[in-house]
Amino acid sequence: MLIFSLWAKKATQMGLLCLVCLLSITVQGQEDLGRPIPILTGSTGYFTRVNGGAFQDAPSVSPLLLVPIGDKWLLEGKGNYSRTYAKGQEGYYEGTSSYGMTYGQIDYLASRYVTITGGRFTTPFGIYGERLAPNWIRPLQITPMIFSVPSGASLGGMLRGGFPAGSEKVNFNYAAYFSANNTHHLLATDRSTGGRIGFFFPGPRVEIGASFQQVLQLDRPHSAGVHFAWQPNRVPLTLRSEFVRQSGTKGSGYWIESVYRLSQVPYLRRLELVGRGQQFLADPKLTYAQVKKLGALGKDAQQADAGINYYFRSDVRASASYGRQFVLGRNANLWVVGMTYRFVVPLGPRGNPL
Amino acid sequence: MKIRIAIFLVLALVLLLTLAAAAKTGDDGKDKDKDTSGARTGVSQDDTARLQGEQRFRSNCARCHAAPPKFAPRMMGTIVRHMRVRATLTDEDARLILRYMSH
Repeated sequence: MLIFSLWAKKATQMGLLCLVCLLSITVQGQEDLGRPIPILTGSTGYFTRVNGGAFQDAPSVSPLLLVPIGDKWLLEGKGNYSRTYAKGQEGYYEGTSSYGMTYGQIDYLASRYVTITGGRFTTPFGIYGERLAPNWIRPLQITPMIFSVPSGASLGGMLRGGFPAGSEKVNFNYAAYFSANNTHHLLATDRSTGGRIGFFFPGPRVEIGASFQQVLQLDRPHSAGVHFAWQPNRVPLTLRSEFVRQSGTKGSGYWIESVYRLSQVPYLRRLELVGRGQQFLADPKLTYAQVKKLGALGKDAQQADAGINYYFRSDVRASASYGRQFVLGRNANLWVVGMTYRFVVPLGPRGNPL
Repeated sequence: MKIRIAIFLVLALVLLLTLAAAAKTGDDGKDKDKDTSGARTGVSQDDTARLQGEQRFRSNCARCHAAPPKFAPRMMGTIVRHMRVRATLTDEDARLILRYMSH
């Protein structure tokens, strides 16, 4: 135990030393005005949630450090910290902290078709995890029920990229990865492999894609999913949808979401209306013990949510939503009210506008 | 099982390389066309690039989030590189968006 803690201490010191070296090399070597600089970005949020009558207050912060190295490399590290205040058994509010590393990866832009990524990364499955999960982006703060069906994080290597598929009318994007098993309580990942492909049609602004994940441990379940997104050119509307099915115990489900920005109404330009419907179908062969272990994924459920977002500025947003969840024997009202702030801090000379 | 995964990966790689080659051929042809059409209409290359950048921004970035303010070019370079990886932007989209957002 003592040896392990000494090793961990040394590894942390070495890691910090390397980061400082990288930062200084990057900043020193980038005298040219066009060279990108390291930045610290991310978001903070404060939300009050009422889930079936139980109140929760949750401030959170998710910093993201981006360090470009030369023309081809990018080091990305994102963490999260939140503290949740809820009523304990004695009737007083108690705070519990949670923290972790969302991802810590290094990317190498090998060519215009391939980017090689290594480290801990968000599993490329569907569109929610990689693109919509940050709280300043997601239109509704409540995550879809199927979000936790595939593994959310991976540790290993990934190939990904996007390029025009023969013409400018369609872009093809892909991601293929392999992940190792990691049992650390903060950084747990499954041994798995999989990927995602997608086609984006810039003209009608339609995206369709499919994802696959094969877990290579325990009962070796696989998950398959499809996603769709559409932004009509003439209307400030976004439609998104995802469907996932797992061969193991986690069942299947889908969600459909629409976001309408009232940009054509003079006094309501900053307002956004959101609606989402979703259904989850649990595996019918689950035993009582499995239902208990799976929690929210153990029972069939339907949920409808409606919300509004108001943009004070592009980086400050207030949100409110109401949802009704229908689960056998436990229907519940879900209220969320709060604010998010996205920050961007340069860690070097910014340079002048072009 | 391992053999099946290996076959799947090899097939995926072959498919990717084929698509990449096809895309490259298509792009080369289009670049030549663009140059001639630009000269014919007399529109400056800067304006064309800016318009294209705005279009690419609306198509790609606005699909997920509200438009951010324009940052200094050196910050924008990092942000666009991050988004190129995260949102699997094409090389050309990333270049045009960077140009548009840096003005």
